[in-house]
Amino acid sequence: MSTLLTVEGLSKVYHRRTRPDVHALRELTLSVDEGEIFGLLGPNGAGKTTLLKILLGVVHATSGSATLMGHRVPLAASRQRIGFLPESHRFPDYLTGRHLLDVYGRMAGVSASDRAARVPRLLDLVGMGTWADTRVARYSKGMMQRIGLAQALINDPALVFLDEPTDGVDPVGRREIRDLLLQIRGEGRTVFLNSHLLAEVEQVCDRVAILNHGRLVRLDRVDALTAQAYTLVCSPLPPALLARLASAVAPAAPGKPDPTGQTATYRLTAADPVAVNAVLDELRAAGVLIDQLTRRRALEDLFIDVVTEPTEGT
Amino acid sequence: MLGLIYLTARELWARKITLGVFLVSTLAWVLLAFALNLDIVDGTLAGLRLFGQDLGAPDASDPTSGLLSLESFVINISSFVAGATYWLGTLLGLFATASLLSSLLAKGQVDLLLSKPLSRSRLLGAHLLGVHAMVSLLVLYLLGAVWLVLSIKTGVWAVQTLLAAALIVAMFSVMYSVVTLISVWTESTALALIVSYGLIFCSLFLAARDALELQIPLLWRYVYLGLYHVLPNFAEVTTLVAQLVNREPVPSWYPLLSSLGCASVLYGLAFLRFGRRDF
Repeated sequence: MSTLLTVEGLSKVYHRRTRPDVHALRELTLSVDEGEIFGLLGPNGAGKTTLLKILLGVVHATSGSATLMGHRVPLAASRQRIGFLPESHRFPDYLTGRHLLDVYGRMAGVSASDRAARVPRLLDLVGMGTWADTRVARYSKGMMQRIGLAQALINDPALVFLDEPTDGVDPVGRREIRDLLLQIRGEGRTVFLNSHLLAEVEQVCDRVAILNHGRLVRLDRVDALTAQAYTLVCSPLPPALLARLASAVAPAAPGKPDPTGQTATYRLTAADPVAVNAVLDELRAAGVLIDQLTRRRALEDLFIDVVTEPTEGT
Repeated sequence: MLGLIYLTARELWARKITLGVFLVSTLAWVLLAFALNLDIVDGTLAGLRLFGQDLGAPDASDPTSGLLSLESFVINISSFVAGATYWLGTLLGLFATASLLSSLLAKGQVDLLLSKPLSRSRLLGAHLLGVHAMVSLLVLYLLGAVWLVLSIKTGVWAVQTLLAAALIVAMFSVMYSVVTLISVWTESTALALIVSYGLIFCSLFLAARDALELQIPLLWRYVYLGLYHVLPNFAEVTTLVAQLVNREPVPSWYPLLSSLGCASVLYGLAFLRFGRRDF
């Protein structure tokens, strides 16, 4: 399995004349392998869109480097085999779906014969075959997303960047797009998904990176991030005990204290159930009264914890 | 690159103002084709009617008089059409095209285009080629059709009219350089139009150089002359268009050359800015 995307120490600072500089990305390093669906998560302003824009040559990095399929960003060659669906795309509304794919295919350097073969196939793939000759102006939001996806695939890309592909799409449409993403991966393509819909990311992504304040705060497989994480509600832990178990127990996100002060909420992480029980035994031995131990519901819990952790320099 | 040239031209064509210019141009040459009636007897011009009005018959004793009056008639008509196209065509052309670049730079459009395997300079270049191709087609359509109708009807083939079309497109390009730079810098169509129309207005004063130069105090005279050499001389080039169509010698091409020089600098700055900025 080869690496399609590498990012090394990438930083971006937006200089502003009258207000303080904005550090959108800080020393970011990550890579994406061939054939995976890679999710990029983070709260608003975390630097997700900035990273995407740097990779696509829309924004210039302040420092660091990135490569796409071995070509240095932002050289035009690095974008030869990538597809992109922007968050708020604006297609010319006087074109029909078929015509739009043809024009954007031509801009991506696809030959006329390849366009003639791919356009009908992609229209069928995204379920827009019957609307192919209708002007884009008459498309619904969901149809726009689907034709946008077809546009992102017109040059047979090895790596597809999707920025909030299900934004504004109804649940049925979201399901269809999710299935489509899995199908795209099944064809051997790599997908770089930028989304704030955590449930969606959890369902389709193989690996996830979480950005916060421009920094990479987590990067792992989705199952590894969510499998052995628990929420522990118990009597408040003495500081010494908390320090001793720091590798496994940490205070949960601030903002959820028990108003009575009789219990506190912690995040418990351990490699396996045996380790979890070992930690619980130690807590009980120290006289801690355990009220609840629940396995995390989903990636969402981890995400909330991670983005509310105090970070250096913020 | 061809895709973006096509997309730009197609977007311009989708605008009502472009369609309006096309229809008005069509109306102009169709009216000329049907309203201009020539009476030719035994190979000589016996009479000329425009909209049914008799314009008089040539002097039969002078075999060249009919041809000469016909030639000056053709030149006058061509001169009028070229002058009107120069002013109205450029003003309307700028109005129709000014928002193209701003909409290309809008979020959701520019990031999609920049993600294509094209360098930024090729992207902007393709946009400019698309705009110029479309404007050239419209100018050539009007002037070419008028020239063809007049030539076929009169037998006078005044090729200079077509050369005037090149001059009109060149000066449109000069004024579009202002729109390009301001749009790339600010993404404001309104500002781009205000500045470009403002420069056309200023060029009226610059064109009166011979009359004004000696009446201005010395210090201001240098400022005036500086602006004359630096800014586009749009109004003064009108004289060149007229001289060209009237088959008169052109004493100096300087107003055109200095305008093209100004455009080169503005386009250069626009490419530089477009290549460096974040979107």
